[in-house]
Amino acid sequence: MKRPGLGTALAVVAFLTFFLGPFFWQVLTSLWPDGELTRPWPSHLTVDSYVSVLWGRPFLRVVANSLLVAALTTGFCLTMGAAAAFALAKLEFRGKGLLLSAALAVSMFPPIATVSPLYLILRAVGLRDSLIGLALPYATFALPLTLWVLTSFFRQLPDELYRAARVDGCTPFQAFRRVLLPLAAPGLATTAILVFIFAWNEFLYALTFLSTPEKRTVPVAISLFASEYREPWGEIAAASVVATLPLVVLTVLFQRRIVSGLTAGAVKE
Amino acid sequence: MSGGGSLERERRQAYLLVAPAVVVLAGVALYPILAAVWLSLHRFILVFGERRFTGLDNYAFLLSDARFWSALGNTAYFTLVAVTVELLLAVPLALLLNRAFPGRGLLRASVLVPWAIPTVVSARLWAWMFNPEYGLINRMLPGSDINWLGAPGYALHAAILVDVWKTTPFVALLVLAGLQGIGEDLYKAARVDGASNWRMFRSITLPLLKPALLLALLFRSLDAFRVFDAIYVLTEGGPANTTETLSIYAYKTLMRSGDFGYGSALSVATFLCVVVLAAVWLRLLGREEGAR
Amino acid sequence: MGRHNASLLALGLAVLAVAVGACRRASEETGAPAGRTRLVFKYQPLWGAPEPFRELLARFERENPGVELVTEALPNSSDLAHQFFLTSLEGGAEDFDVLVADVVWVPEFARAGWIADLSEYFPPERLREDFFPGPVEAVVVEGRTYAVPWYLDVGVLYYRKDLVPRAPRTYEELQRYAREAMAKAPGVQGYVWQGRQYEGLSCNVYEALWGHGGEALGEGGRVLLDSKPAREALEYLRGLVRSGVSPETVTGFSEEEARRVFQEGRAVFMRNWPYAWSEAQKPDSPIRGKVGIAPLPTVSGEPGWGTLGGWQLAVNAHVSPERRRLAAKLIAHLTSPEANLVLALNYARNPPRPSVYEDPRLRAADPFIANLKEMVERSRPRPVTPYYNLIADVLQSEFSAAVAGLRTPEEALKRAQKQVDHLTGVGE
Repeated sequence: MKRPGLGTALAVVAFLTFFLGPFFWQVLTSLWPDGELTRPWPSHLTVDSYVSVLWGRPFLRVVANSLLVAALTTGFCLTMGAAAAFALAKLEFRGKGLLLSAALAVSMFPPIATVSPLYLILRAVGLRDSLIGLALPYATFALPLTLWVLTSFFRQLPDELYRAARVDGCTPFQAFRRVLLPLAAPGLATTAILVFIFAWNEFLYALTFLSTPEKRTVPVAISLFASEYREPWGEIAAASVVATLPLVVLTVLFQRRIVSGLTAGAVKE
Repeated sequence: MSGGGSLERERRQAYLLVAPAVVVLAGVALYPILAAVWLSLHRFILVFGERRFTGLDNYAFLLSDARFWSALGNTAYFTLVAVTVELLLAVPLALLLNRAFPGRGLLRASVLVPWAIPTVVSARLWAWMFNPEYGLINRMLPGSDINWLGAPGYALHAAILVDVWKTTPFVALLVLAGLQGIGEDLYKAARVDGASNWRMFRSITLPLLKPALLLALLFRSLDAFRVFDAIYVLTEGGPANTTETLSIYAYKTLMRSGDFGYGSALSVATFLCVVVLAAVWLRLLGREEGAR
Repeated sequence: MGRHNASLLALGLAVLAVAVGACRRASEETGAPAGRTRLVFKYQPLWGAPEPFRELLARFERENPGVELVTEALPNSSDLAHQFFLTSLEGGAEDFDVLVADVVWVPEFARAGWIADLSEYFPPERLREDFFPGPVEAVVVEGRTYAVPWYLDVGVLYYRKDLVPRAPRTYEELQRYAREAMAKAPGVQGYVWQGRQYEGLSCNVYEALWGHGGEALGEGGRVLLDSKPAREALEYLRGLVRSGVSPETVTGFSEEEARRVFQEGRAVFMRNWPYAWSEAQKPDSPIRGKVGIAPLPTVSGEPGWGTLGGWQLAVNAHVSPERRRLAAKLIAHLTSPEANLVLALNYARNPPRPSVYEDPRLRAADPFIANLKEMVERSRPRPVTPYYNLIADVLQSEFSAAVAGLRTPEEALKRAQKQVDHLTGVGE
């Protein structure tokens, strides 16, 4: 590991300040007594907001719901996306361009106009007000990004690998599963994070399709905190800090995969 | 087994592999979109209690609707500035993340934080920071208080800042994925030839990164063009619609006014603008791939 | 590495299987036990200890054996709730029976055929006897009752008793008092209100319009904006900003921004809803005991009219007649004088019935609400027209342009009038 230069150090500090500064402000807000929010500094710090978020409401349940929906979405999306992306990158068949552009077109439509028709579909198939029924449209609308990123990832893997696997007697599917998929791990990890966060953040569909309180996701639950005029800033801040932690943990777990590089020597072009 | 009818077999398996994705896209995404397009050909306003087919009337009205054009202008400006700034920040960030230095893990985890905060909350967090009386930004800036969200020139830029903060990590991750694909040996060879860092960046990194950059540009500009949450929470399009984007206009028309016909037409128009934008990027991307 | 991926995949599938199982269970549970009717009430959190409201609901269950009452919360944001109802009612949802409706939604939902005609349970004449005229006007559409007022809200003026001699009666007085107080206490602003482009701004503008002797609704239900009082109203509001009585930043304020400034002791006057009162009286509030509340000022000096806000209860028209009957019964229970009192005492929601304000229990326990009667009586609905939601947007943007100084009031009103006429089909 090289010793970082001054430039690197400065850049790191600048980025950290920009990205984390507002977050720390939020953490501070969550500990700030509500009546004193307009003052330059709080007279003391308090964990009241956390207490009321974690014990006053079923917030952990809500976090669990969100985790479940996001995990389902990521699962659906990567399973469908990786298979299709592999085919798009390495196999010969007609309609590749069409599929890629159709997928892109899906991600170009303003979501608000799709809410009503989607509501009708989900109601018709009996998936309204269920977490699966939420993960399905999430996965669909996250699929285009998955397809594009993974396809470009699979394209970067040398064709020789695939051919060698085929010569060794693998079917195309086996070549995908046993040889190329493992090599695409960094791409999969990156995409997984992108999709997971998309599902984690989504609000519009969650608000409309879920009605039972026990199924609420994080953004919807937080939107319920505010009263008609009043905004309990401390609680909203505390809830979002609590809701952000799982993602940070997840990122730390995944980060080695995100940047593990395209594996060792044998694969190099 | 190998050779022989393997091409046929390969094609069959290819179709099997893409089938789930195709089915889901067609089943879940295509129908709502077509339904919205169909609706846009109707006069369908809730309070009038009527729903009748009017062909392209909504679109004819749209072309002469000054509010539409102003929203389009705001959207284009937002997209251009936000995406440019994001890219300019994301490339150095990705280069940084790709290097080994103490504390890299911390940086990697922390860049994702802005993005991991639910959008509804982060927009609120910024509304709070922009608060003219006691927000963090005015507290830190010297001089008289800036009316961030209530003054025409500032409000749109405030929204751009929120977008940059929130989505630069996304761009950086995509660029990082691209950086991973560049082989270390290229740099080794260049170093042997005595190339400077800048030179290597210009002649190796940047050209090889182009597909990743274009992909990031593509997805970010499609997203930025449909920007909604940040502006909705910060200003609702105010003051005097100077921050109203196409999505906000469409939202208000659909969900507040209950004008489903024209609201759908606005959505379709947004969609068409994005298609044009995407076509441009795809052309560039295609040219890039062809050149490789 | 390959094994690792496989295990990840397996984990994903396991999660999936569990979720499917969970969903199936959940959908089985939603079917009510035999013989019991499940009645779903969509409402917004009331903010306060949940017990009294739960008890109110439980009483209904006790009085109606065989009914299981379920509540489902909606966000308090009017926009989000409207969006929810538009999507679900347009989609024919029948999974909720009783819903809350904002004052300006009732005519719209009634026209769309989404909420049931309740005239047989709540004849309009009876509503007129029992409730304030403002809210009744908002729920009776073409002579039929479509909703019942639940609780209401009204715009009022807050003032600092320690900084001004008394509540101002005229606009001129308000500005003079504000300037005098600002001169004495540097760093204090004059008058804060809601100037951001949103519905709250429109409420402020209507109040100024009424205060200048105007009306927003002309002959034949035409929304009339291009008028002298409207011009004066916008000139007055813009003038507040220009003259420095109100800070420039007021053009970015909604309720909370204004309240936080006022509560910090940094403003002499504030226009807001009654909710700000209990906040101002909290133990740690710097202005505790120094705040007075009064009707908004007017040009002439007579007490002003505040915009009517608040929520009504309506019945989903898609549900079966049997459930509709029960739903009407629930509404009767929730809007009874007794229920009004529960909401007033525990959640500071203002009763829509004049009689409740005379109730000794209210007068003893919450004199603040009891004293609001004078102002509530003078609450006025925003223009009652089914087109209100259609035009609200245009009004907000033009009002915002005038208040922020982007257009002159005259220009803004002319533009607003033209667009409103176009949208409502007048002159076409």
